[in-house]
Amino acid sequence: MFSRILWRLLGASRGRLTVALIALTSGAAICSALLNVNLDAERKLTQEFRTLGANVIVAPRTTGSDAALLDAGVVDRIEALYISAVAGVAPYLYVAASSGSQPVILAGTWFDQVAKMDSWWKIEGGWVSSRGDHDHCLVGFNAARQLGLAPGSSLQLRSGNRDISLTVAGIVTTGGAEDNQILTNLDSAQALAGLAGRASLVQISVSGTASEIESVTRKLAEALPGLDVRPVRQIAAAEGTILERIRGLLFWTIALILVLSMLGVLASMASLAMERRKDVGLMKALGGTVPRIMRLFLAEAGMLGAVGGLLGFLIGVLLARWTGERIFGVVISARLEVLPITVALTIGVALAGAFPLRLLGRVRPADILRGE
Amino acid sequence: MMAPLVQVEHLEKRFGDVRALDRVSFDVDAGEWIAIMGPSGSGKTTLINILGGLDHPSAGRVVVDGLEIGGLGERELTRYRADKIGFVFQQFHLIPYLTALENVMLAQYFHSITDEKEAAEALARVGLSDRLSHVPAELSGGEQQRVAIARALINNPKVILADEPTGNLDEANEAVVLKLLRELHDAGHTILVVTHSRAIGNLADRRIELEHGRLARIIAPSLAKD
Repeated sequence: MFSRILWRLLGASRGRLTVALIALTSGAAICSALLNVNLDAERKLTQEFRTLGANVIVAPRTTGSDAALLDAGVVDRIEALYISAVAGVAPYLYVAASSGSQPVILAGTWFDQVAKMDSWWKIEGGWVSSRGDHDHCLVGFNAARQLGLAPGSSLQLRSGNRDISLTVAGIVTTGGAEDNQILTNLDSAQALAGLAGRASLVQISVSGTASEIESVTRKLAEALPGLDVRPVRQIAAAEGTILERIRGLLFWTIALILVLSMLGVLASMASLAMERRKDVGLMKALGGTVPRIMRLFLAEAGMLGAVGGLLGFLIGVLLARWTGERIFGVVISARLEVLPITVALTIGVALAGAFPLRLLGRVRPADILRGE
Repeated sequence: MMAPLVQVEHLEKRFGDVRALDRVSFDVDAGEWIAIMGPSGSGKTTLINILGGLDHPSAGRVVVDGLEIGGLGERELTRYRADKIGFVFQQFHLIPYLTALENVMLAQYFHSITDEKEAAEALARVGLSDRLSHVPAELSGGEQQRVAIARALINNPKVILADEPTGNLDEANEAVVLKLLRELHDAGHTILVVTHSRAIGNLADRRIELEHGRLARIIAPSLAKD
């Protein structure tokens, strides 16, 4: 009988319940879209962050000595850990050299890794794309101005009694130390310095939030005893802050949408409550207890919430896809974990919005039957 | 000697300064048909509301089937209504979106468990076996009142309380409802009917007449005729 009455209730108040359902579905659709966008956007943002340079550094522990170097084989040890969050690893060897009478800093590295980790660098000319390219170099913007170099220029570098000749592939602007350096193949730098197999430090790019980066840093530190493994705090913190702000914005937006949606339901339910006063009075006169009558109304609201949540989820997936393509330029795929969250939130909103119906429990049957 | 089914002693009901019922006392035996009569505002509906557990007395004592209802809380009164009382109202008071059958089953639902067959039989008893799936809007006034009577009877209540049951009916339908009430009385049901109708009053075993909230007289029409 419960389901029979429930069905009749739904049929009898189609108009008002449709309005409530529209409010619930709209709220659920926006929540579902935001949650879908957030989950995918967070993943994509962390990927984007990884193009902004290294956020973890591995360096020799001894400090205050210019001669402190590490074995470049440490890179193999890092790669052997198979940490999925590690997006790129690049060893660096810094060598003091000269170009004619001008002192310069030569940085030897793996360009294939640098291209992945620092794809945002502004290059005039071309990248050195291969790790095995021993003939080309990138020259920092300030160094190029000082040495009068342009893409295609030749460059002779000397350190001690060793020389190397390089051709400038491009002029690089980073706004950092690289602007004053010449960057070339690691092997070439090691050969010039006579430091085969050595590196000054290793730069690592780790995906994730600040806490995830911390966790990877700890794992690396355990695997590399005797070396100093530390996150580049500013970058890690900035990335973490951006993600946290996005989450905060999302939380408050969803909360606002749910409140607005609840107000919509509340308005419909208030009218419905007025319509149902007589029915409730009669039900009470016939011996219906308040909890038994309220169960009917709450089940009705719960069903409305479940249907609204389900419809909202589906619409939200389409909305997220559209938003992803139009605003972020990426395809955002449906995340199934959003479905139970959306449905649960919408049922909660529907039950909260059904508050006026709960007030019907106070109706006095004698008043209703008198026609008041 | 058996105790009366309904005992009303010095019953008072006040609404602010207005005394709707003033020290009313009477008894009703099981199986009796009582007509409660009096001019508008004399306290008839207030009396029936208190007897039906829809309202609380301000003073006095009301005992129905051994249960003193004056001191009951809301929850106990609800149970009392479901177990012991069958209501028939002037305005029929059916749930508009439920069918005739479902309106009867609703009373079963609040009482204990529903039995569709039994509900259909109750409607057949009042001559509505062909109207089971009709909603109230599809029924005439007389048919709606007959659904209300079937609903009132479905849980075998101790007392049937009817407030102007023919007040909204034409003569033909009034006759049908009166016939039903007579049949219920013959079957041993205890019936208290609030009415303005002399015809109904004369059919009752006794007439309780109220004036300004006070019991004016109790008349047994059959004795009066004699």
